[in-house]
Amino acid sequence: MWNSPRAQGWWILAWLAVSLPGVVWIGHNALEQLREAFETDARIVHRLLSQRAVQHDAILSMLALLQSSSDATRPEQRLPSVYPQILAVKRRDGGQAWDEPRFAAAERQSRQARRPVLAAADFAKARYWLVLAADTGYALQIDMRGLAPWSEWPMRPETSSVRVMLEYAGQRLVLQPGSIGSTGWRFDFAKHLATDSQPFDVVAVSQVGWSQLPWGWMLAWVALVAVLLAGVQGAHRQREARRRAEALLRLGKVARLNALGELAAGMAHEVNQPLAAVLANTQAAKRLLADTPPDIETAQSAMASAVQQAQRAAEVVGRLRRAVDAPEGATEIAAVDLHTALSRALYLLAPQLQACGVTPALQAAGAVNVLADPVALEQVIHNLLLNAMQALERVPRGERTLTLSLNAAAAQGALIVHDSGPGIAADVLPRLFDPFFTTRDGGLGLGLSLCETLATRMNGTLTAANHATRGAVFTLRLPLAEAVGTP
Amino acid sequence: MNTTNAMNTPPSTLSPLIHLIDDDEAVRGALSLLISTVGLRVQTWADPQAFLTDFDRDSIGAIVLDVRMPGVSGFTLLQQLIAQGVDQPVIMLTGHGTIDMCRRAFKAGAAEFLEKPVNDDALLEALQNAVRQHVRSRERQQTNQLARERHAQLSAREREVLGLIINGLTNKEIGRALAVSPRTVETHRANLFAKLGAASLADLIRRYAAVAEADSA
Repeated sequence: MWNSPRAQGWWILAWLAVSLPGVVWIGHNALEQLREAFETDARIVHRLLSQRAVQHDAILSMLALLQSSSDATRPEQRLPSVYPQILAVKRRDGGQAWDEPRFAAAERQSRQARRPVLAAADFAKARYWLVLAADTGYALQIDMRGLAPWSEWPMRPETSSVRVMLEYAGQRLVLQPGSIGSTGWRFDFAKHLATDSQPFDVVAVSQVGWSQLPWGWMLAWVALVAVLLAGVQGAHRQREARRRAEALLRLGKVARLNALGELAAGMAHEVNQPLAAVLANTQAAKRLLADTPPDIETAQSAMASAVQQAQRAAEVVGRLRRAVDAPEGATEIAAVDLHTALSRALYLLAPQLQACGVTPALQAAGAVNVLADPVALEQVIHNLLLNAMQALERVPRGERTLTLSLNAAAAQGALIVHDSGPGIAADVLPRLFDPFFTTRDGGLGLGLSLCETLATRMNGTLTAANHATRGAVFTLRLPLAEAVGTP
Repeated sequence: MNTTNAMNTPPSTLSPLIHLIDDDEAVRGALSLLISTVGLRVQTWADPQAFLTDFDRDSIGAIVLDVRMPGVSGFTLLQQLIAQGVDQPVIMLTGHGTIDMCRRAFKAGAAEFLEKPVNDDALLEALQNAVRQHVRSRERQQTNQLARERHAQLSAREREVLGLIINGLTNKEIGRALAVSPRTVETHRANLFAKLGAASLADLIRRYAAVAEADSA
């Protein structure tokens, strides 16, 4: 059915209004998830690096505790082979001084703070010294690239999009380069290492680009909304179509009734005039003959005039018949499936059937193709169904059944309409198809008459009978389409 | 276009004349024959407009009108007749009369409303009633005319006296009201009785009350 562009516009607007917030929500959700993953990774990285840093403190404390200044074997020199990140170990025996003044300064600080102190940090070379003051002072040189325990690392350093850096006093060392784009959303993370001796900041940065948004889900959502709305629109259109069909049907009925009324009025006038003349002439003749003496001559001319007018009335009726009767061949006979025609009629009458509390039971083996004028056939079926419903309205709701059966036999297709109504009275049955015969108040008495005329015109028959047990049975028989051509 | 029916009784101005307007020639012929059987003259008209311009308004009789006619409808014609002060009673005929149509006809001033085909007794009775009614109304009209003419012959003083008599005043009271002697009143009284041709006081009041009323108004 045709829809105005304006209505189409509203549907599109509704589609956008529903799908856009969904898309935003999906995107927002995805970003939140990415941010959470990033923060989790960054916290893990911070914990791993902190563990390493704390480890260095522990090693220094251990060395100071052992006080192995007298040990000439210098066991501390074996540390780099155990801890790959430790590049070198320096030792200041008691009474001796550090060869480099920055170590001496660091030890002084360390003595005050009672913890290891950073002596020299060279981020360009990725290494720093850590000094702990004791009777025997120790210094550890740490390779910053060895700080990261790659085996426990939460990301794949080669492919991860997250950049991980250590920052200290304006210096910066990149542990994991990551791939930072220029557009999209930026996640940041920065936290001190969990030890005072190595006051570095762990900084993580990640950039989520447009391409990382869940476009698939968003598209799926938009498509889902479109499908749902299309469904709603389809249902809406169907309802609209049905409403219009019903309106048209009503309109058609009214038009037919109007036409009928016009016809009746015209006919009344056309027939009335000669009838009035006949009546007046014969009554005048009667009076003239009753006179004394009777005026026979005038009475004869009055009677002649009456005869003429009676013939005129007959002509009017004949002309009317010819006008109403469709000329031969005016019907368009085609192969029609009785089942389809019946479904259409049922569809149009569905609201009335529902209001009547009737669910028609359909008994059909398959398509029954008959030769009929589709419009006339629909009219006949429609009238038969209406007729059945009117019969059913005269029995209690619970007892209303309507059985519709289709069959094909002896070159004829048949539609049998059986209602559980009160049936047809014996005196009514012979006059059932007479024009203007009705048992309903206000009925025109043309419905079944028209049905029979239409059926006959399509080389079919319409018969009525009472069912053996209950109700009335109307049988419409039409020639089968397959039977054409066979002699 | 007026065609006097051949079946008509010889033209006698004393016999009432029925005007029959119907567009159907056969109906016109049959109905005019039927009407003529009771001795009424019939003039038939096919065209309502021609009837309206040409028919004799002074004739005694009635008008029979079909509601459904091409051109001017029977109702329109009826309204025109009433508006022009035509006093012949109008009988309406219709092919399919509804109650609504009947009500409209009587409201518009029809004397009778009959359904077509019409029964002879019903039509002829209605016509005879209508003619009687018309004759009576014409008679009344003539009486009034005569009364007016006689009334015009009275002197101003006599008219005054007549008005007071009709109001039920005695000679003495009239004398007081007009400041004349009862004898003078008596003279006026005798004069106006003679001029008006009244046989008694009751006759005088019956025939001249309306005229005197209209005169003093």
